[in-house]
Amino acid sequence: MNARSQVFELTVEGRQADEAVASIFHTVLLHRSLGKFFYNNEGSYSIGTLGYTDVDCDFIDLTYVCCSSASLDEMLKKEISCFSEQLRGNEGTGMGQITLEFFQKKPSRWLFQPECIPWEVWTVRLELITLNNEGQRQVCREKVGELLTDKILYITEVMNRHEYVPKMPSHSELGLIFDSSFPDVQPYLFKVNYSVAGPAAGSSVGSSVKKLIRETLLL
Amino acid sequence: MAMKFSNQDKKDLDKFIKFLAQKSVQLIVQSRLGEKVSTPCKPHSTGTDWFNLNIIDLPDVLFETKRVLNGEVLSTCLPLCVEISLRTAEGDQMVLETWSFGILPERCDWSPRIVNTVYNRMTIMLKSLASVTRVLPAYKLSRKQGEDTFVICYRIYMDEPQIHCLGEGYKCVRVAQLYTPVGLLMLSVAYRTKMTISPTHTDRDSIMLKSDHFNTNLSPKNGRYDDTRGPDNTVPSTLSVAKEGQLACRNVTKLGPDNPVPSTPSLAKEGHLPCRYDTNEDKITSLSDTMKKIGAFADCKKKDFESELIIPNAPFSRLFTVSKASPKSVEENDLMENAINDCRTTVDSVEETKESERLTEEPEIEPKTVSNGNSKQERGSKLEALTMVSTNDDFIMVDLRTPFGSVTENSELGRFYREWQAAPPLQAFIDLPPLEEVDVSKQLENFETEANEYNTVLQSLCQSPNNN
Repeated sequence: MNARSQVFELTVEGRQADEAVASIFHTVLLHRSLGKFFYNNEGSYSIGTLGYTDVDCDFIDLTYVCCSSASLDEMLKKEISCFSEQLRGNEGTGMGQITLEFFQKKPSRWLFQPECIPWEVWTVRLELITLNNEGQRQVCREKVGELLTDKILYITEVMNRHEYVPKMPSHSELGLIFDSSFPDVQPYLFKVNYSVAGPAAGSSVGSSVKKLIRETLLL
Repeated sequence: MAMKFSNQDKKDLDKFIKFLAQKSVQLIVQSRLGEKVSTPCKPHSTGTDWFNLNIIDLPDVLFETKRVLNGEVLSTCLPLCVEISLRTAEGDQMVLETWSFGILPERCDWSPRIVNTVYNRMTIMLKSLASVTRVLPAYKLSRKQGEDTFVICYRIYMDEPQIHCLGEGYKCVRVAQLYTPVGLLMLSVAYRTKMTISPTHTDRDSIMLKSDHFNTNLSPKNGRYDDTRGPDNTVPSTLSVAKEGQLACRNVTKLGPDNPVPSTPSLAKEGHLPCRYDTNEDKITSLSDTMKKIGAFADCKKKDFESELIIPNAPFSRLFTVSKASPKSVEENDLMENAINDCRTTVDSVEETKESERLTEEPEIEPKTVSNGNSKQERGSKLEALTMVSTNDDFIMVDLRTPFGSVTENSELGRFYREWQAAPPLQAFIDLPPLEEVDVSKQLENFETEANEYNTVLQSLCQSPNNN
């Protein structure tokens, strides 16, 4: 099965990188998260209620909505800040990409690890620019806000298409579809990958492969 | 593959749509309250937590939504609309966005397990709505609202969305759509992109007062003065008319969905423009006719006379200014000169005349008739160019053409006038010493000592025979 893929390309100032990525990923995750499932003895389940929170960006003229989940936010922030640090570091070229990948697992067979099948991938490619004065920063702040507005509108358009999402699982299969590690929300299984040397560079392929192997071993 | 859509399914679906409409309105309105929203996740849903989303129901908004829906399911004919508008502290109003939630009946989806799927997809619709509300321009405005600047208002109605009041260049965004057995649910928004607001509430600024200056009722030529109405009364009456118009417009915008942005009083003023122009001309004519008709108590600051119509420094004209005994005569002369140099001050002059009219209504009415009678005569000669107006008390006649003299007679008349203005002194007094040098007491003593001599001269004169 081919995963759907959406790619956003943005040119931002270094300090805007975290918020730009977070606004896109949180908007996606809001749509791809549900309340926690609670199964009763009869096999039926009830779904908890999802809260939402407005987030004002500090370096971009934008407010976005995310799930009211501190743990989800923390997890996402951690991933994004690792990417941002590498992107803004001295070794980097100022270009990189970060992906939010939704996947489902196939039940494991005997000794093998369960197979992870991505079904939707959101990629943000960033190119960092350096601005010289506050006037330029102000323009960039508004411009990036407008760009992200377009991206968020596009995300909502994609989300409302009648496209594949994994079926609601039975209790035993919950972990194959949803990430139930969060105490307050239940997003579809997802992971965040990133590479900072640019999508075409050979080193990124190497690092991606390394990361892939590492993650496979971890699973 | 079509499946039978049971009555229970239909009932459930109607209920879902009804609550989807209610929650949508809540989301939209709450996003424009100007505050950041944060609702917590809950492990167990309660009765009001429709679509597994914690959207708080504001009672007022819920009541208004229910009132508009009137207990019915969302109609397939008319969408439910939420209009978000901005109202300034001065009362100006501007529609920012119109959200519409409707059903297109021609597109139906009869796929199996429809009800559960629809419910889940409705959740996504609401999430999309929450995301979209935060990125539209009205959101930023709503966060800046305040009582002393502007506030954001909402209006819920069931009708075709009123998008024509969003100004030029408005944009439409389809927020979400969902195929259901009853049709395609559509959630969309049209929003304003040009945020320039034109002032419509002008009852306190000078523009409205200025428009009053051209009120036809105040033209002296129209002769429509109402003695029972003081000049001060006319201004508030004009304002009150404008105010009523505005209020009416505002009410229409607020209550009547069929009406666009309120028509501004400035437009109404433009509607009076031809009228204003006529009045203005009347004023100029009457003013120029009445150069000397400045009332005893009127403000003498009249600088707006048409140069052609200013009466020249004709013989005895000073008698008029002297008779008025105006200490401002010099100033008046200056103003007259200014008027000649720049005839474009006529508009200002109309205003000043207005002031003088307000101050003295009675004195103005009488000269008005006089001026009307004289206007033809004066206009007959107004093409004769005047090149000089005296600016001080000394009478100087340069290149003067009197209205009743021919060109050749003009110099004679001027000379005659000059002779009579300053008559030649008697020869006997030409050699007299200046008055300051004469010692009066000494002179008196001389006269007394020589009194006998004077008497003898007098007697000799009396006794002498009359030769004539």
